[in-house]
Amino acid sequence: MAKLDSIIHQPVRLRIMSSLMVLDQDEQVNFIYLRDLLKLTDGNLGAHLTKLEEAGYIKIEKTFVARKPRTFISATGKGRDAFEGHVTALKEIIDSEKVK
Amino acid sequence: MNVSQEDAHEALSAVKNVMVQTRKAIASSYASDLLIMWGLLWIGAFIASHFYLAYAFYIFISMSVVGGLGTAVIYQVFRSKASLNDTSFQKVGWRMFLFWIFLFGYLIIWLCLLAPFSGLQCNAFICTAIMFAYIVIGLWFGSYFMVLLGLAVTAATLVGFYLLTPYYCLWMASMGGGALLGTGLYIRLRWR
Repeated sequence: MAKLDSIIHQPVRLRIMSSLMVLDQDEQVNFIYLRDLLKLTDGNLGAHLTKLEEAGYIKIEKTFVARKPRTFISATGKGRDAFEGHVTALKEIIDSEKVK
Repeated sequence: MNVSQEDAHEALSAVKNVMVQTRKAIASSYASDLLIMWGLLWIGAFIASHFYLAYAFYIFISMSVVGGLGTAVIYQVFRSKASLNDTSFQKVGWRMFLFWIFLFGYLIIWLCLLAPFSGLQCNAFICTAIMFAYIVIGLWFGSYFMVLLGLAVTAATLVGFYLLTPYYCLWMASMGGGALLGTGLYIRLRWR
């Protein structure tokens, strides 16, 4: 039986991870792009990203593009596994009702 | 950790919505521009080939060079806006560039070796060879869209070549170029 993940289950973090899961393993998304896509404030997104980074679920990379500072975010292998496990656990909860 | 079924439903629905939203946002940001550009180039090249079939080879080589440069520009503009940083693309970018250079080099060699060709045969040969490259790249990078596009355009080429010979170029302009342009416009207009 798959295990629910309390870090990922928080609604904003769930949306962040869902968005990152769409990208390929080698792809990173820009902070601003993610903020606009999920309609979050800088502070809100930053706080949740820190939580996910501390758990080892995402990687945050600060770099320069055309001499401008950019922050890129990507899901780590550990984060991808945790997300998939969490989604499987959610499905199992729903399926258990169907069995009843 | 306890999650009710209602919460589980809600969470899964949020996951699905965000994934769809992200895919559409990425696709509408540069894939639509690429599809529209290639669609217009294909339509232009096939219509030109319909009237100047003897020059089909040069028309398609020119189209491919313009398309290749256009693709690089669109991708660079997208990157400079820094939405996505595709490290896998950066790693293979030069190799991909060289692959297309070699492919066109070999196409020229094969056309010289197999000559004489009719303009129609030359056109169909280049189309199917490029689509074969699409399929190989799609399989290599796990892009099923490229594989399907390669197979669909190859099928359209064969239908046009064998069954609609007098209208082959116009058929290809509508089926190949029209499909690319239509998909690009659909993504741009409906997904934004």
